[in-house]
Amino acid sequence: MGREGYLGEFEQMLLLAVLRLEEDAYGVRLMDELEARVGRRVSRGSVYVTLDRLEEKGWLASEMSDARPERGGRPRRIVSITPEGLDALRKSRAALLNLWAGLEGALDLP
Amino acid sequence: MSSSPRPPRIGTWLMESVLPPTDRGAAVLGDLHEEFVSRASRGLHRARIWYVREALGVAVRYVGQSQNYQRGRSRLDVDGRGTWEGFMDAVVMNVRFAVRRLAKSPMFTMVAITSLGLGIGANTAMFSLVNAVIIRDQPFEDPAALMDIYEAGEGFSHGTLSYPDYVDIKEGSTDVFEDAGGMQLVLLQMDAENGVEMVPAEAVTGNYFSILGIHAALGRLFTAADDVARGAHPVVVLGHGYWTRRFGSDPLIVGSELRIAGRPYTVIGVAPKDFAGTVRGVEPVAFVPITMYDELQGMGGNTLEARGNQSFFAKARLRPGATAAQAEAVADRTSASLREAYPTYWQQTKAFVLVPTAEVIMNPMVDRVLVPAASMIMVVVGLVLLIACANLASFLLARAADRRKEIAVRLAIGAQRRTLVGQLLTESILLSMLGGLAGVALAVQSLRALVAADLPLPLPVTLDLSLDPVVLGFSLFVSVAAGVLFGLAPALQSANADVASTLRDESAGGGRARGAALRNLLVVGQVAVSVVLLVGAGLFLRSLEASRDIDPGFGSAPTAILKITIPADRYSESEGLVYLTSLTERIGLLSGVEAVGIIDNLHLEQLNTQNARVMVDGIDPPAGSDFHRVDFATADEGFFAAAGIPVIAGRGFDPSDRPDTERVVLVNEEFTRRFLPGASAVGRSIVVNDEAVQVIGVTADHKVRQLGEAPRPFVYLNRNDSYWASVTLLARTTDDADRLALDMMVAARALDPEIMVVQTTTMRRHLAVVLLGRELGAMVVGGFALLALLLASIGLYGVVSFAVARRAKEVGIRLSLGADPRSVVRMLTGAGMKLVALGGAIGLVVAAAVARLLSSLLYGIPPLDPVTFVGVPVVLGLVALAASWIPAHRATRIDPVSALRAE
Repeated sequence: MGREGYLGEFEQMLLLAVLRLEEDAYGVRLMDELEARVGRRVSRGSVYVTLDRLEEKGWLASEMSDARPERGGRPRRIVSITPEGLDALRKSRAALLNLWAGLEGALDLP
Repeated sequence: MSSSPRPPRIGTWLMESVLPPTDRGAAVLGDLHEEFVSRASRGLHRARIWYVREALGVAVRYVGQSQNYQRGRSRLDVDGRGTWEGFMDAVVMNVRFAVRRLAKSPMFTMVAITSLGLGIGANTAMFSLVNAVIIRDQPFEDPAALMDIYEAGEGFSHGTLSYPDYVDIKEGSTDVFEDAGGMQLVLLQMDAENGVEMVPAEAVTGNYFSILGIHAALGRLFTAADDVARGAHPVVVLGHGYWTRRFGSDPLIVGSELRIAGRPYTVIGVAPKDFAGTVRGVEPVAFVPITMYDELQGMGGNTLEARGNQSFFAKARLRPGATAAQAEAVADRTSASLREAYPTYWQQTKAFVLVPTAEVIMNPMVDRVLVPAASMIMVVVGLVLLIACANLASFLLARAADRRKEIAVRLAIGAQRRTLVGQLLTESILLSMLGGLAGVALAVQSLRALVAADLPLPLPVTLDLSLDPVVLGFSLFVSVAAGVLFGLAPALQSANADVASTLRDESAGGGRARGAALRNLLVVGQVAVSVVLLVGAGLFLRSLEASRDIDPGFGSAPTAILKITIPADRYSESEGLVYLTSLTERIGLLSGVEAVGIIDNLHLEQLNTQNARVMVDGIDPPAGSDFHRVDFATADEGFFAAAGIPVIAGRGFDPSDRPDTERVVLVNEEFTRRFLPGASAVGRSIVVNDEAVQVIGVTADHKVRQLGEAPRPFVYLNRNDSYWASVTLLARTTDDADRLALDMMVAARALDPEIMVVQTTTMRRHLAVVLLGRELGAMVVGGFALLALLLASIGLYGVVSFAVARRAKEVGIRLSLGADPRSVVRMLTGAGMKLVALGGAIGLVVAAAVARLLSSLLYGIPPLDPVTFVGVPVVLGLVALAASWIPAHRATRIDPVSALRAE
């Protein structure tokens, strides 16, 4: 895995959003979730491309729902985190927490 | 479901063309669709814009993605530098930069996009039309072995056959043809939700589909077993379009029953989607066995045995190894034997003619008009695109000149040439792509308008006017090429120029922009092309005007027309006459009706002409024939009053002219001039269709086949002498003819709900059909000529504006030294008008040559029509004057001080 398997920022954000949405993680909801939590509209194309990449790396798995009329007769791609994905998140979290630890003073945070 | 709003197709198409064709791709489309639907509830317009923008974003992102896969680099470098992603980032940045630059000069951007959009739109729309009518291939199996069979004779080179003729050539040619078959067009009276509708269909031989190699989309198609005995095969194959439109593509349709012409027919199958019959433009809603033809027509008689009824379209398939030359020899042999056997129908001039099906578009006689017309239209829209590209070139040249200094400065402070080129390239391409997009939108809209337009066509015409990807690609290519060529080349040139001298030159302010000469040349060219198009349009319009002034000699008052067929299986001749008598009485009582009349075949009917064999003592028939052929119709006593044709000598028909008394006819004036010169024609005896008849009256002349024709002799037979089940009723009114036509139909149905109503129309519409070709020609050429004029004016405006901007300093000095502002305007306008005069002169010379080529299409005016050739330069001059005066006038408002201080 590139760079010893650490996650990029956007990859991390996406994986966390998937985790939060549980059963309901598909394109539209993911973008809403990111916008609500991060406060920034993300590029749709990047979301899909990154989802593809994460699935290729084996961190995400996806499943197609049945075709739906309100989607112009097209399916939903519902994604979920794989055990490997959870591992990668854990590793990134540990690494980042270690780096953040003890810096509250330097950042003027309580 | 169908009520929910649909996202703009262009967006969906854009994504479909880049997304992988997998479930993943579908899920992306689904996401957008879902969000679009929820956004649409808050505002459809904004939702549509949002959708296209998102689609564009997704598409751009995925283009990079798929390219990356193609290079076999499945693992993406997260860094993104030096990779495809990195390149895409640069592209995205360049696009943003270009968008910002274009947004900074909105006028320039708008004008450039509009110019290109109009040019590309016109091309795409017209090519799609030509493609639908002419180019699109028929889905026949091994088309090279198919031959069309026609008959040639006096006055026609490629006519349709009679059914008995078809049987004879089929049986006489088994050694060269594997099989022969064909069809006749028929209007079906189909039961629909609201009463009945008349729909076009093909009555086909049992082997029709197998000869063409067409296979069923559903169920089965006809076989020889469906074509055995007259009236014994109530089965129907639905056309794909009709099946989709009316039955919602119901997969269970096979086996169900439809009521056609009052009888149940079993649906046995559905024709494939790409097969819309063998006559282009006339899409049959259904196919029925030809053995049912007479029953469906409801006219009685036996078409399949009538050698005089020529309406059968025949095709044959060559045996493997047989050649067209062998087939022709066989056809000649059959013609010779038919001439011997049936001298009444087969005059010495008549013969079978074979043409390879692949070489025929509609019919060789129609093609002779169709192909030049289509080529002319394509040339016209091609010229419009040329002018549009010239505009773009001219604008980009101007911009390139403007930016020389900017580029020199950036190079001087260390910008990379590669980066600069990337930015310029992106801007040009973006501009042309936006123009292309606008063009496609325009083309889609105009094709929709064309399909929806209520043209008075003689037949219901259905064309598949979907956008053609080939022309779309071509137009986009042309626009992008124009953008790159004219935008990038000059910019590159300046990027390569010596930086120091450019900077010095520009600061001095007197730099003659490179490309100015080229731009002037472009304007000259544009004006010349516009003049050619305007002259063409002028000639067509004048010719239309002249045709409109022709008096057809009948139908000047508001008149309603009802065409009906009285079902022969339920009405004997005398019962049919009773029905018609009571119907005419009823119609006569409707309010506003002044006269009611009946004729079997109204004049200027585009698809029907009939002629009688006439013999007159003392007037020799043409060589090789025993009689004269004279157009005729069968009319009743009320017809002349209803149609407004005056009887100028003798009398009209009378109820007392019964079949048991001596047969009587009326003739027109031209007939008397040609055949009964000298003494009064009334009372003279002539022979019509082998029967002696007496001329009882003479009518004024009127047009028979075409508006432009010289007077033609005409004979009116008496309706009382011969019964026809298919008739045209005319009612002259002081009131609204359109409403009366509907009232007439109601009256006809009130007397018998199952009467076959073939058409309700008015005299105005009937006559409009005759002018349709000229009207469409004038409209199309006129529209495009105006477009060309508009584009050329925009180009001229741009050139003069640019000259003004370039000479701002000079104008400032002149004004500050006390020059009269009006003389400054004159100077600047004059420079523009010089270009116009040169272009105009060239244009007129070319136009004069073109006009001679068009002369066969013109009516009533000489090719060098003075009104057109004087009018066009005047109009052009005025428009050009305005286009160059506006920017020139602005120059006088230049503040001398700031103009001098600048730079």
